[in-house]
Amino acid sequence: MKKHKFTYKGIVLLFLIATVSCTKLEDTNYNTIVADEFTPTSDDVAALISSAYVDWRNTLLLWNGIWRSQELTGDEVVIPARPNGWVDGGIYKRLHQHTWTPDHDAVEQGWSRTYNGITNCNKIIYQTESGYIPMDEEQKTAALAEVKVLRASYYYLLMDLYGNVPLDTDFDVPEGYLPEQKSRQEIYDFVVSEITENIDDLSDSPGQEMYGRFNKWAAYTLLAKVYLNAEVYTGTPQWEKCIEACQEVIDSGNFILEPDQKNVFITENQNSKEIIFALAIDQNYTTEWNTFDIHMQTLQPANQATYDLEQSPWGGMAAIPQFIDTFDPEDSRLTENFIYGQQYTSSGEILNSTLGSYAGEPLAFINEIPSVDRSEGIHGYRFGKFEIALGSSNILNNDFPVFRYADVLMMKAESLLRTGKSEEAATIVTEIRERAFKSNPEKAEVTGAELQEGTIYDYGLRNENNSTNEGGEDIPYGRFLDELGWEFNQEGRRRQDMIRFGVFTSKSWFSHNPNGSYRSLYPIPQSALNSNSNLTQNPGY
Amino acid sequence: MQQFFFTIWPKRKRSRGLLMLVFLISFCGYGQEMSVSGTVTGDVDGLPLPGVNVIEKGTNNGVVTNMDGEYSIEVSPQAVLIFSSLGFETREIQVNNQNQLDVQLSEDLESLDDVVVVGYGTQRKEEITSAVSSVDSDEFVKGNVNDVGQLLQGKVAGLSVSQPSGDPTGTSQIRLRGTSTILGGNTDPLILIDGIPGDFRTVPPEDIESIDVLKDGSAAAIYGTRGTNGVILVTTKRASGAYTNRVDYSVNLSTQQIANQLDLLTADDYRRQIEAGTREANWDLGSSTDWMDAITRTPFSQVHNLTFRGGNQQTNYLATANYRGLEGIFLKSDNETFSGRVDINHSMFDDKLKFNIGIIGRSNNYTTTGNGSSFNGYTYRQAIYRNPTEPIYADDGSFFEQLGNLDYENPVARIYESDGENRSQFNRYNARIIYEPLDDLTLNATGSLSRYYQTRGYAESKNHISTIRDGLNGYVSNGTTETQEKLLELTAQYEKKINKHNFTLLGGYSYQQNYYRDYYMENRDFPTDVFSYHNIDLGNGINEGRANVEGYSEKSNLIGFFSRLNYIFDNKYILMGSVRYEAASQLYRAHVPWGTFPAVSAGWRVSEESFMDNIGFINDLKLRAGYGVTGTPNSDGFGAVPLLGYGDFFNYNGTWVRTLVPSQNPNPNLKWEEKHETNLGLDYTIFDNRITGSVDYYVRDIQDLLFDFSVPSPPNLYSTTRANVGVMRNSGLEVALNINIYEQEDFQWTTNMNFSTNSNKLESLSNDLYQTTNDFFTTGGTGPPIQTTTHIVEVGEPIGNFYGFKVVGLDEEGLWIYETPEGETQSYEEFSHSFGDKQVLGNGLPNYYANWNNTFRYKNLDLNISMRGAFDYQILNFERMFTENPSMQHYNRLASSEENVFGQETPLEAPLEYNSYYVEDGDFWKIDNITVGYNFDEIGNYIKTARISISSLNTFTFTNYSGIDPEVDWSGLSPGNDGRDKYPATRTFTLGLNVSF
Repeated sequence: MKKHKFTYKGIVLLFLIATVSCTKLEDTNYNTIVADEFTPTSDDVAALISSAYVDWRNTLLLWNGIWRSQELTGDEVVIPARPNGWVDGGIYKRLHQHTWTPDHDAVEQGWSRTYNGITNCNKIIYQTESGYIPMDEEQKTAALAEVKVLRASYYYLLMDLYGNVPLDTDFDVPEGYLPEQKSRQEIYDFVVSEITENIDDLSDSPGQEMYGRFNKWAAYTLLAKVYLNAEVYTGTPQWEKCIEACQEVIDSGNFILEPDQKNVFITENQNSKEIIFALAIDQNYTTEWNTFDIHMQTLQPANQATYDLEQSPWGGMAAIPQFIDTFDPEDSRLTENFIYGQQYTSSGEILNSTLGSYAGEPLAFINEIPSVDRSEGIHGYRFGKFEIALGSSNILNNDFPVFRYADVLMMKAESLLRTGKSEEAATIVTEIRERAFKSNPEKAEVTGAELQEGTIYDYGLRNENNSTNEGGEDIPYGRFLDELGWEFNQEGRRRQDMIRFGVFTSKSWFSHNPNGSYRSLYPIPQSALNSNSNLTQNPGY
Repeated sequence: MQQFFFTIWPKRKRSRGLLMLVFLISFCGYGQEMSVSGTVTGDVDGLPLPGVNVIEKGTNNGVVTNMDGEYSIEVSPQAVLIFSSLGFETREIQVNNQNQLDVQLSEDLESLDDVVVVGYGTQRKEEITSAVSSVDSDEFVKGNVNDVGQLLQGKVAGLSVSQPSGDPTGTSQIRLRGTSTILGGNTDPLILIDGIPGDFRTVPPEDIESIDVLKDGSAAAIYGTRGTNGVILVTTKRASGAYTNRVDYSVNLSTQQIANQLDLLTADDYRRQIEAGTREANWDLGSSTDWMDAITRTPFSQVHNLTFRGGNQQTNYLATANYRGLEGIFLKSDNETFSGRVDINHSMFDDKLKFNIGIIGRSNNYTTTGNGSSFNGYTYRQAIYRNPTEPIYADDGSFFEQLGNLDYENPVARIYESDGENRSQFNRYNARIIYEPLDDLTLNATGSLSRYYQTRGYAESKNHISTIRDGLNGYVSNGTTETQEKLLELTAQYEKKINKHNFTLLGGYSYQQNYYRDYYMENRDFPTDVFSYHNIDLGNGINEGRANVEGYSEKSNLIGFFSRLNYIFDNKYILMGSVRYEAASQLYRAHVPWGTFPAVSAGWRVSEESFMDNIGFINDLKLRAGYGVTGTPNSDGFGAVPLLGYGDFFNYNGTWVRTLVPSQNPNPNLKWEEKHETNLGLDYTIFDNRITGSVDYYVRDIQDLLFDFSVPSPPNLYSTTRANVGVMRNSGLEVALNINIYEQEDFQWTTNMNFSTNSNKLESLSNDLYQTTNDFFTTGGTGPPIQTTTHIVEVGEPIGNFYGFKVVGLDEEGLWIYETPEGETQSYEEFSHSFGDKQVLGNGLPNYYANWNNTFRYKNLDLNISMRGAFDYQILNFERMFTENPSMQHYNRLASSEENVFGQETPLEAPLEYNSYYVEDGDFWKIDNITVGYNFDEIGNYIKTARISISSLNTFTFTNYSGIDPEVDWSGLSPGNDGRDKYPATRTFTLGLNVSF
């Protein structure tokens, strides 16, 4: 009897031991880091600071990013319906016709990716100030200045696109905290003060170590941009301040105008002395899909053989014919920045169309697009400003220049022009035009009077269904806007320039009719309204 | 199984020590007065039965028959002898002074039928108080069945099983009582193979004895966090009791065809169109190719199964070997599996201690022309898209390609210029010890270890389009996966009968640990093709920075305590209560990682009441009511804590560094999704046991649904937070009816019908902390070039609603005429094609399912016909949406693209679009499984039984749906999308032979 009881108790005991010893939740994590169980070392500083920069690349260049919100809404670029698609529920047509809604993908992405950058900046600022990221005082000061200016650059994007946005600078907030919305003026004041207060603590090295980051010169260019558009943002122009900021960059002597504009956009453009702030791109590292694929979006599938591309391009985006018509035929910025005419393989054989009703016929791009609703593969000039290296993958290796010296010069010229110093402005514009008319230098010459004329862009509806004539003679300083278009096309900025010159919501082009002046601001995205009850929608939406 | 032993052994009044037990059989006993001896035989084959217990009733006096079935026992002259053996009906025989007593035992089919496997034990069918369905092997779907799910197709009311894909590596899709989650994961039921978690293919179908399905929450709650989608308890064929050695062999030979071939434009159609001027002449490339024919074949599949059983009452064993060589209808799509299983039982110390050891091994390999997956659906799409006037080969013998067309590749080349194989090995070792220290107490310890290894190799040759067009110069990928699962379960069950009160109390502990690891690498730019995927190091891509390497691991565990009480009073009133207390590592550092999952159910056997005595036609009637809570875990781990992850690269001081970015907001309030289910049921047996069946009504409220909720960032680190916000309800009715219509010796006809409904509604997407202003989100995708979402998930509406533009006609220019959500008719130009113009176009989930199975037997001939149907649902026909639009010139189209749209003579001119024209009714009725078999009686001295059969699967379908098969993918949040790359559903014909030696 005793023996049995012992056995029985023994087994019960075994049960208990096994049970008690195995009630702990397994906490092995092989793939992510539990944030509050992680203490960074100095080796992690680069990884942490860098995290706040990646969002610039994402917000500008990823699918339906700011590049598109600035270009597809303007008078230079369109994605018409193609034989192989590009309707996608009408989202590109909506950008062209200014009929976007608060849930439009470009509206959503431009907001969320940019705020993601701000979140990362806030976190790094908090972690730097609290000593969580190990740095000495000197490093700390420099890092704080850099990240604060970087954050200001994100707010500049939001101010430009959405105007009235929540201003959020704190990381350590109570649970359930919702940021308050600020007016465009308040955001403007914040951006200006953040840049000016921190600019002296920024590195003045223009070299490799600060490449693609905010050094003093990138910050002055950013400041100049903000001042250039101050009238749009606040109602008060700041032309003099814009000139001052430009002058800081010019006087630094660090930058030059490339003798050939192409040099800024070649595959290995990272050494260009014209670039002030660029988004560094490398197909082996920046591998996110759509990181930088203007070539994929613009070339026809058959063009894969032209550049020996690793993948077939998708054949969509093209230049609006009216814009191409504004170019002087001898302007090298037309002949070198656009792809047109008969297409060939890399070994020189003629390429044929493969899609649509021209299939089997020679593939020759013509400056004609039937409408935003219909087009064939041959329709429209394609974009080739960024060199497409032979054998490129779906990601171009060219770095994307956000700020370049020519822009600083043109900002200064515009401010001079608008403050009555048109001849000084003309000198600068002529200097920039010279590299575009090397074979015919006379054509580079431009006068102050000419810059005060209207635009030569022949505004009006122009597609297979409608044709109207609005012209552009009534646009003040319109000729200067033309100069901006010729020099800076394909660089993700046309909307901003058109708004400053009063064209964006007042003129028609291609299949676009004006759709209300409130369209110069994007609506607050639906998802942002959904997640923050403090937000009020922009007027008109 | 334990239950059964209680009936074998008479209750003993005293308990003994272990050592005493050893001597029990030989030495225990009382005064003997006479000797009785004889032979025990089975009634079917008349062969002697070894290991039969022969016991003098009311005493501890007993012996066991020897290998020849002989026994000898000393008893009192008026004694009663009890003859018992597992699998046979127990007989009691009065000795009456006879010295010779030969006994024949009949096989006990009923007793096995009547026992239902429930969580951690078995119960007698009449004592079940939950919705549990049992399916025995003789009711299984026959023919070319490849996994557990398919065996159950159409057999269980409320359980929808479909085979949307004809891929030989594909598995069944199972839905039990509707959609239960909105995150898309965790939709599979918990599958337990002899109590240990497994999957659809842990054991081959031939090796399965019976399957029990725990449908409602009161039954499944004992499995806590894993019980929401139901529990499928698979009982494999077991060795048990005494056997004369027996060998069973079966073979199935099958072939397949596409269920319904798509009708595409042929080369002749192209030429006719060119002549008619609707197509440019340059589209005729001079050949005539049937591209579907070029990539398909008539497959031949074979399945062999060998089962061996032997042993005696103390030690017995079963061993199976199974070979499945399957071919798919597409070239280079196959699946070859060899599996073996050994199961050994041993009982000692007077059956107080029992051991079971099992080993399962499975070796699998299949050809891959997808990178790591069996058949690449994109190749099938290319066969549909391909111009039928193109040749397969160019004049120089190479594959004919047209490189300039977007997404356009020679499908035959894609198959022949790619090469790959996935190979895997699965092993499971399990051991179980059952100890009965007291008469009424059973202790059970189960441990198991399962390991799975897979290696994947894939190569694209230099003639593959990836080199010809994309310049990879040869491509190879290698990958490997390892999983390991450890399980320890300890249970104790105490059973006591006091007068009319019958208690069973179960308590237990379960610890499960899972480990997963995967790594993958790829390379390009190879000097040669000759090594295929075997020498990945030869590629130069790694030096060029163009080689990709990935790795992933995770380890998680699940800890549970559970208890259950069954109480039966007077065989009439049945009460069951259970609770599981469980935590899993997904809730690591959450405020409340432990969840409590209670259940209670009750049954009333009305037919046992005296007032029912006069109602003769009712044999058995039971009312059931149950309520139970089950959970669904978060699919990802570490949801409660903030996470950092290494993100994209950034060029910092001239070097590329990986950034460290937040990858998740913390949500310490994270918890399980909880399903609260109420089930009301009725089991009945009427008209002299001729009609049996059940009716169940259920309401399942799923609370705390996990959802990635949008939050502002900043201040949040990440723009979504996973939170428990949603509430969803499923309710429905399930009716099952079995009728023995005709039952005579020569002819029998039994029929089984079941019917079920489900209605689903999302009730909320917010909670106190998280409030949405939008009460919907869109989901599902068309893919390029249409690029829009297909479904909407909206509060107040069911899951599965198609959401798009509604078209009502075509105008004379060939443009759509729309109807706005407000009911206004608009032309193509007026209609703004915006999100606000979309409306609900139907729902992809059937509201009604019906199944009807018939078995006819005439002498040795039998005929099985299984029919299934699903009703009141829609399908988005992707094939039509993408390849019926005549404006699309650069890809081949369906022949229906030449038909009038909405009766309009002008062909459709609008670009490809997702609209109501492509949403079709899916309702169908299938005569699915037809089997004709003939059973031979004993052949010669060696063959005990033999059977030959012919069967077909997915035989006839009655439907108005124009696609390949109306039984489409019903999983996730975008059910009813009949995707264009889907491996087509097939019809199968099988010849089968079974022999027992």
